[in-house]
Amino acid sequence: MKISKIDHIGIVVKDMATGLATYQKHFGFTVDPDKGGDIPAMGFKNAFMPVGETNLEFLQPISEEGPIAQQARDRGEGTYHLSLAVDDVNAAVEHLRSLGIRVGDATGGIAYVSRGASSGVVLQLIQRP
Amino acid sequence: MGIGAQYIDHIVIASNDSAATAKHFSETFDFPIKRTFARPGTGAHMEFAKLDEVVLEFAGPGTVQPYDEVKARMGGFVVAVEDIEKAVAAVRAAGFPCGDPHPAVQPGAKIAGVKSGTGGVPFAFIQYNALPIEEAKA
Repeated sequence: MKISKIDHIGIVVKDMATGLATYQKHFGFTVDPDKGGDIPAMGFKNAFMPVGETNLEFLQPISEEGPIAQQARDRGEGTYHLSLAVDDVNAAVEHLRSLGIRVGDATGGIAYVSRGASSGVVLQLIQRP
Repeated sequence: MGIGAQYIDHIVIASNDSAATAKHFSETFDFPIKRTFARPGTGAHMEFAKLDEVVLEFAGPGTVQPYDEVKARMGGFVVAVEDIEKAVAAVRAAGFPCGDPHPAVQPGAKIAGVKSGTGGVPFAFIQYNALPIEEAKA
């Protein structure tokens, strides 16, 4: 399995406008207008700020259900997940499963590694087009 | 207002056993641990891997206490800046406390932590080639 780079860092915010304004005002980061939006099926909306070759992904729950809403309720705002870029997400999932690692099925080029297999860190595998 | 951010330099994975966590990640995701470091006077044990331009820093206590399971979580991240004094001044001018730049673990580098205004994310700046290497080792 080849991890090409760290794709992005996920940050949970309770209010997207406030979260983005914080990072714009305090650090001068700018939103990527070509990425992000509402993802109702996952219960959150997102926005991205590039920092070099990596991105910050801001995640705000838009429903009471789902992992982002749970994170916001249980732990508040802060870092949520680490996204690792892979060349072939399906191959990466198969490889990890062959090692006995629990990984969800890849959907839309994204798969999540079980927290139990990463000492509690939320890890995402992502295949960019 | 800008801080002169260049790129995300490193991301911290905090663990109750950083060596075990680094070994697990290295073996599972097939990347090498490039460096280990025990910080004198702090009891911290750190291990480092590099994925493209970003370093993964596994940080934990120098003395591992007995545990039922290895626990880790994403900590914060560190942004490389062109001029750390200017970055710190800019954040302070925006009304947020920021630590003074001080020698980092990385030879020749200075680091400063931002203490609030980050939406709950531990956040710091690092500037490389900010110090003579000898001073950084002192």
